[in-house]
Amino acid sequence: MKLYGKVVGTNIPRADAKEKVTGTALFIDDLRFPRTLIMKVLRAKVPHAIINSINIDNAEKMPGVHKVFTGKSLGLDKNHLFGTCIFDQPPIAIDKVRHAGEVIAVVIAETESQALVAIKEIDVNLEELPFVLDAIEAADPNAPLIHEQNGNYRHVPTFVPIPKSNVFYMYQLKKGDHEEVFKDAEIIVEDEFEYPLMNHAAIEPHGAIARWDHTGDIHVWSSSQAPFVLREVLSDYFDIKQMTKLHIHIPYLGGGFGGKSDYTIEPLVTLAAKLVPGYHVKFVLTRKEVFIGSVLGRGMKGFMKLGAKSDGTLVGIEATQYYSDGAYGDTGCNVVLAGGHNCVGPYYFPNCNLKSFGVYTNSTPVGAFRGYGHPEGQFMVERLIDKIALKLDMNPNQLRMKNFLQHGDTNSLGQIVTRHNGDIRKCFTQTVAKLNETSLPPEDEEYFYGRAVVGLIKSPVQTANASSTVFLKFNEDLTVNISIGGVEMGQGCLTVLAQIASQTLHIPVERIRINYEINTQLTPYEWQTVASMTTMRVGNAIIIACEEAIKKFKTNAAEVWNCSLNDIVYNGTRVSYQDKTLSLKELVLGYQYPDGHTLGNPILSTGSSVVRNVTFPDLETGQYQPYEWTYGSQGVDLKINKTTGKISILHFVTALDAGKIINPALAEGQITGGVMQGIGQALKEKIEYDESGNMITTNLRKYAIPRLSDMPEKYSCIFIETPQPDGPFGARPIAEHPAIGPPSVILNAIQRATGISLTSIPVTTERMLELLRNGGE
Amino acid sequence: MELNIIVNKKAYTFEVEPSDSLLDILREKLNLTGTKNGCKQGHCGACTVVVNGKAVKSCITKARKLENANIVTIEGISSDFSLHAIQEAFIEATGVQCGFCTPGYIMELYALFNANPEVGKEDINKALEKHLCRCTGYKPIVQSAMLAQQKIRKE
Ligand code: FES
Ligand code: FES
Repeated sequence: MKLYGKVVGTNIPRADAKEKVTGTALFIDDLRFPRTLIMKVLRAKVPHAIINSINIDNAEKMPGVHKVFTGKSLGLDKNHLFGTCIFDQPPIAIDKVRHAGEVIAVVIAETESQALVAIKEIDVNLEELPFVLDAIEAADPNAPLIHEQNGNYRHVPTFVPIPKSNVFYMYQLKKGDHEEVFKDAEIIVEDEFEYPLMNHAAIEPHGAIARWDHTGDIHVWSSSQAPFVLREVLSDYFDIKQMTKLHIHIPYLGGGFGGKSDYTIEPLVTLAAKLVPGYHVKFVLTRKEVFIGSVLGRGMKGFMKLGAKSDGTLVGIEATQYYSDGAYGDTGCNVVLAGGHNCVGPYYFPNCNLKSFGVYTNSTPVGAFRGYGHPEGQFMVERLIDKIALKLDMNPNQLRMKNFLQHGDTNSLGQIVTRHNGDIRKCFTQTVAKLNETSLPPEDEEYFYGRAVVGLIKSPVQTANASSTVFLKFNEDLTVNISIGGVEMGQGCLTVLAQIASQTLHIPVERIRINYEINTQLTPYEWQTVASMTTMRVGNAIIIACEEAIKKFKTNAAEVWNCSLNDIVYNGTRVSYQDKTLSLKELVLGYQYPDGHTLGNPILSTGSSVVRNVTFPDLETGQYQPYEWTYGSQGVDLKINKTTGKISILHFVTALDAGKIINPALAEGQITGGVMQGIGQALKEKIEYDESGNMITTNLRKYAIPRLSDMPEKYSCIFIETPQPDGPFGARPIAEHPAIGPPSVILNAIQRATGISLTSIPVTTERMLELLRNGGE
Repeated sequence: MELNIIVNKKAYTFEVEPSDSLLDILREKLNLTGTKNGCKQGHCGACTVVVNGKAVKSCITKARKLENANIVTIEGISSDFSLHAIQEAFIEATGVQCGFCTPGYIMELYALFNANPEVGKEDINKALEKHLCRCTGYKPIVQSAMLAQQKIRKE
């Protein structure tokens, strides 16, 4: 079969770019509906408390107010909760407050200002309880108990809690001799690490609009990466008997990064809308509310210990990680799992003993964040590998090359590594070579200079039957519409998927439209847009739908010619058999003879793709089969100003074994964006709380994400292409990966430049200056 | 107060509070939703529009300062079905990912290049520094700005 054009691998412009540069692309806050009411909320402002009473009488009488409610005023049952893995969350506080940003009362009014005035009229009587924000302290048996019901909540079997404690999930992984992990070790290194709480800080705040019709149908528009998860959560919580009643609509998302996966405000907005049937209830978070009232990311404190032989061969790893997951655990539990087993990085360890704890604390709930558990653990392992190199006086790059996983190894989970998993050594050596193109200046009066390179690995964390489905229809003019359930949040799926369809159908990409009107009533099922899997999983579904469409053209022709399907050749404009040809136009609605009678059928097809061979973790060993993974490597050249402490990134290199790059420019945009987020985590970002348990970093000044002036002087992106056998055109996931390495590689480079060994981030300018003055911590 | 303004070449009169923000006037009174609200605190730049030739953050620009102002928003810079050079540049140089920051950047550059098409790289960076983008890592945005300037010079 001759391929059309070869659009896969080329830089076609983004499908959604025109809408976005003209301001016509619609995001949640841009949607306008008749009969719209505005919702505003009152938050607890104390991190842990019993709700004695909340008086809403005055607020209800304020002008423009339609409804005011609290958990108690609605008589909500404190044991009726929502979730996906651990059902532990009410849509609004009922008897108890578990974090300072928790919603305790809601006002629905004609206008925003009326709602805000009414909120001021609510009287609150809370009885404060001792609170805990630190995950290690919270895991202590004597810590204040945040969920008295922990252990009794409904949960899927994998996530086993420790009752009567704040630990809602403990994961343990054992491989090899897990009791005597270090029996063959000649040297041991260990340390304690901290990866603080962070915020995704997508520039678009979260929002949702909900309407209950008098027919019982529910419409929800939301800035969510997961329409079908939302449908599941809402139908479970509100006991909706038929999913045909639930219409979840998703507009464009102004960035997600995991902060808009799972669910955040949707159950509450849906609850509010139920009180005013026929009205649209709109709730868009303020920037402060994005920080205190959606989800946070990361938040890990941990301990790791590595053992090696004196020639540098790694022999064992032990780690304990505490994930500070905030007031509710459901969105955190899979991160705890992923962080638990991925902390080994891309290295071979015969013996592993790894533990990770998901811990309730009195912070905003914590969930997915680009990297999903991988940056936390790999921060520790990459720092410690440099420590081994120092201790053995070995070149750290050679030490890594010696220990990278290779063909035939069994990784920590028990998966056998094969050649098709990609080439980490190639990623690594090309990263080193790229940095070596410019020599690193020696220390001078003004600056220290540092260089380091690390490896990375990321496996997509997804449910064992995660699937993608698509509908495809050929129009009479041979343009093609493909409906998907994947969400466009900036990653470029509409473009990349059109390229995959174009190349499979052998028709120009301009003739393909990936439909972007997500509505769970009309859109085919998609598990959710997370784990960097859209190109791969939806891409595979599209290939199947395209092949099916081609087969249907042939089937129509076979009926006309009365020949076998297999003898017919399709080339994107026509089908042929021996010396006969028919154009696709003649077949697209079935073949019509001059007298009118018609053979065959219009071209309409479907495709689906389910991840295969993924299993649940074994409760005893923690081993299981997740999906396969992507390898990569990242390297940095940086300089540190001796008088100000400012760290400047001179060159940041990322190499990923991407399998196949469908659109190089879009892929590079994922790399530069991900790297910048990782640099932000290494040097700037940290969620902080005051003594009262209220968050301090609640705006984009205090929570400083990278600006243009923080950009590396030079970015390099290298793509290795070892095809993934089951990926579309060989592609594998790459979108989260560039955010994984920056913290470890930057701290390694700081140590090499200054001798100062750090185990926590961020290393702000002020902190670095302090460290330089004191010669360390 | 009564406010007379021109938005995208059309004259409007509104009854507003002096403390109302230009962002709210544009989005809620005129339904010009191309101008985005990323923070309403003057921190992100997503709400940037051009007022009397200058790029301003509309979320912190109050009605009381706007009498007779001439305002251009993202909806006002392309004519009929052809894009402005800056818009083209953002498409070609992949300056757009989620697109939420995009109108703000484009309006910033629109004011900058209108005032001086020959403006130097340092001033361009200074203008871009006022904005936040969480998706692109900035390199594609800098490249889009450079390409836009090239296109404008050629026009
Ligand atoms: S919305 Fe105006 S600066 Fe962020
Ligand atoms: S493209 Fe998403 S914030 Fe800039």
